[in-house]
Amino acid sequence: MTMNNLTKMTRLEVVVPARDAPAIRELITSAGATGYTSVSGVSGIGHHGQHSGALLFNEYDTLTMLITVLPPDNAGELIDAVHELLSTSSGVMFVSETYVSRPDYFQ
Amino acid sequence: MSLILRAQVAAAAHDIVPSWPVASFIAVNPLAGHEPRPFETAAGPGVALTRSRDAYLAAADRGRIVDADLEAALAERVPDLSGQLTIGGTNVTAVSVAVLDMKSAQWKPAPAAEPPASWLDEYLATWVSSYLNPDPLWAMPHQQLGFFHAWRTLARRDPSLPRSVRRTVAGLPLEPDAALAWALVRLGVAAEAVTETLRAELQHLPGWVGHIKWRAEKIGDIDLTSYLGVRFTLMAAFGLTPLPPSGGPTRADEAAPTLWDRGEHVARSIGGSRVGREDIASVTRVLATHPVADHPLTWQKAYELHYRSTLVQAVTGTQRTDSRAHLQLVMCIDPRSEGMRRHVEIVPDVETFGFAGFFGVPVRFTRYGARGTVNSLPALLTARHHLTEHPTDSARAQAQVARGRARDALRRSTHRADSGTTTPFALAEVSGWLYGAISILRTLAPTLQARLHRSLTPSAAILESTVTIVDAFTLEERAAMAETAVRMMGIVRFAPLVVLAGHGSESMNNLYQSALDCGACGGNPGAANARASAAIFNDPDVRAVLETRGIRIPSDSVFLAAEHNTVTDAITLLDRHLIPPSHVDAAGTFERIQRTAAELLVRERARDLPGASPRSPARVRARAHDWAEVYPELGLAGNAAMIIGPRQMTRGVDLDRRVFLHSYQTELDPGGAALETIMTAPLVVAQWINHQYYFSALNPATLGAGTKTIHNAIGTIGVLAGHTGDLRRGLPWQSVGLGDRLFHEPMRLTVLIQAPLDTIGRIVSRNQVLRNLLDNDWITLTARNDHAAAWHQYTPYGWTVAPIALEGS
Repeated sequence: MTMNNLTKMTRLEVVVPARDAPAIRELITSAGATGYTSVSGVSGIGHHGQHSGALLFNEYDTLTMLITVLPPDNAGELIDAVHELLSTSSGVMFVSETYVSRPDYFQ
Repeated sequence: MSLILRAQVAAAAHDIVPSWPVASFIAVNPLAGHEPRPFETAAGPGVALTRSRDAYLAAADRGRIVDADLEAALAERVPDLSGQLTIGGTNVTAVSVAVLDMKSAQWKPAPAAEPPASWLDEYLATWVSSYLNPDPLWAMPHQQLGFFHAWRTLARRDPSLPRSVRRTVAGLPLEPDAALAWALVRLGVAAEAVTETLRAELQHLPGWVGHIKWRAEKIGDIDLTSYLGVRFTLMAAFGLTPLPPSGGPTRADEAAPTLWDRGEHVARSIGGSRVGREDIASVTRVLATHPVADHPLTWQKAYELHYRSTLVQAVTGTQRTDSRAHLQLVMCIDPRSEGMRRHVEIVPDVETFGFAGFFGVPVRFTRYGARGTVNSLPALLTARHHLTEHPTDSARAQAQVARGRARDALRRSTHRADSGTTTPFALAEVSGWLYGAISILRTLAPTLQARLHRSLTPSAAILESTVTIVDAFTLEERAAMAETAVRMMGIVRFAPLVVLAGHGSESMNNLYQSALDCGACGGNPGAANARASAAIFNDPDVRAVLETRGIRIPSDSVFLAAEHNTVTDAITLLDRHLIPPSHVDAAGTFERIQRTAAELLVRERARDLPGASPRSPARVRARAHDWAEVYPELGLAGNAAMIIGPRQMTRGVDLDRRVFLHSYQTELDPGGAALETIMTAPLVVAQWINHQYYFSALNPATLGAGTKTIHNAIGTIGVLAGHTGDLRRGLPWQSVGLGDRLFHEPMRLTVLIQAPLDTIGRIVSRNQVLRNLLDNDWITLTARNDHAAAWHQYTPYGWTVAPIALEGS
């Protein structure tokens, strides 16, 4: 696979309880990210055990995954801020390199 | 803008529970931020987790707690407490030794007094209330700039601040983040101490802070960074050092006797003068496993176990019958429904069911003549479906709306004249006689006044209308809602008439009216949801889809919506114009049954309602219109348990309107999906309500709203006690007590479920909200596989046979 026509970016995925998602969303928008993807009711097994995923009548006690992509130069401060927030509450953050075809969408 | 600082503010505010406005009061556990940790660690300044020692001893004296309860509580909390010992020649069990110690050892109750407010708290409370008050006499200038900026602009000229402080304020950055960062540096707060310092300051004014957190998420006109920006810049300008709130949690053993004294006292009470030092030493070794600091929660556990034992013994093991009922009544799980269901079921061929009061139809609802919308759904959900209603006679509806607008205009102009500087004098001269006469009538004859008001205001009359389910939901959504409701409730056969009764309360001059409405409907009456649900079940297209999924609703079954007025106990059928001629008689029969049941229930409630008499039910009902009445009804006072299972478990049992009842049949839910929905939604809402009552009863000054009699409203946001200070949280004292006596027994929710234990265990293990509540002792869960099986108690290590023991009661 060639990356010749793609631009390198930083991708953050944060999985937190739905009640903590507004604070993460605020950090993402404050960091200048032009958008994010929010997936509610994610399931899986983690540090605190099993999570069943979407619940029919309770969106408050599920997990939400927030995904954002931004230029590497702008990512550091957001990563530090999310790291700080997660130091006192449950949740995980994954940071990775990613490549996009339309860099202007993310700047 | 400093992202790190924003993150530190969010981290500091993590455990703060958002506080809904009083206009849409949502019962929440005020200590919900502590739920991931054991219940006993939730104590804090001014927060008591248990009652006083005297209260527990009084309960023991009247048989409300017996020795068997204390022994069961000790066995649960101190598993090592086993074996026997000989004291002065008398053989005793270690548990009985610990029981004797609990009855004799002194401990100091945690004070639940409100800490004195500092000048800074008073100052900030005034500014926040001025900024947020939606209907002040004088609106705060510069509101459009945001809280921090508006305050900074005005405080430069605030004469209550010293000149040097005003100069400092004038030089502050415009952005709250930058001002907060400046203040933290000026105060010398080290980078690693910022979050803890912010957290400590957020513990002051917890009412306003909780409401700001709610507002930041739902409205966005203020946030905690702005609030902390003002707080810290003032602290920096005044040179105030940030300090944690005074008065840390009081340990129960502060006033306790020494271990040796306790041992000697207990040993002598067993062996008298024959007791030697070795006997005392043996006793102290036992008592060391249960220090005095643990006594309060053991007493509380015993208090709760006694209730659970009584409840479990009352629950019967009757099997389901398959004959078709003539009438089915579905009501909210709210404990107030229990009384109505019990009295309605006096008629043998009537069945009742319990279901969340929004009937599985979460909507944002707009009435045809309303100014705005209401979110009629649990606070756990976001409104995604918009339900409206269409009057059948649009010309009449338009005329009614026009009359309503004219009334509103008159009311607004009167209010403006009443609120002006000089106009109130003229208003009093012109119309004072009229308002005086109305006030006298309202005071002396509230029911007559309400009747007159209704007859003179045709714009308030309810016109025939239908709700727009086809616009609000797709067919698949409607069918899914109906299927979910049937499987959750476990309705096997449908009666010719099925009444879905939401509920609402009716009272005058009551800022906490919303707290008496339906919690599952976001603190609103449940009529709209009942109407939508009935329309969905009557929809032939929905029935056709349900049939393909194995749920057959006979063609002669008709669903009607109704609303239960919890003050008068009248159940009013709604949308009467939609009753088909074939079911008019059945509807009439239901109304007759309901009227009898209401009469019985009002008399029953009058026994508990302060100042009421079972001999005068009319006076109980008149409370709905009495503007001087602080006890229109008792709401959910007394709530203590939730039962999930078939009604056959509890039919004919007087549960004293203390139990949330959710119908459920395992047979209709082989995979456990419906049970998981019940356990993660209605159960969670019941727990929120239960803890709201629990902590409002134990901490009326700090986690409750105090007495209604001195409340002042801040618009529709909340209330203050007096004219200034913190926004009050929780329920007013009149919801839990009378005089200096509690009528609400504070007990953590006891949950009973009849369903396969392995299914329940799987559901708990995959839902963190349930693990938090159960493993940390915020609620208890007792279950049995079926009607003939033994009750088992959930523990973090598996199921154990539930201790069901009663003694002397």
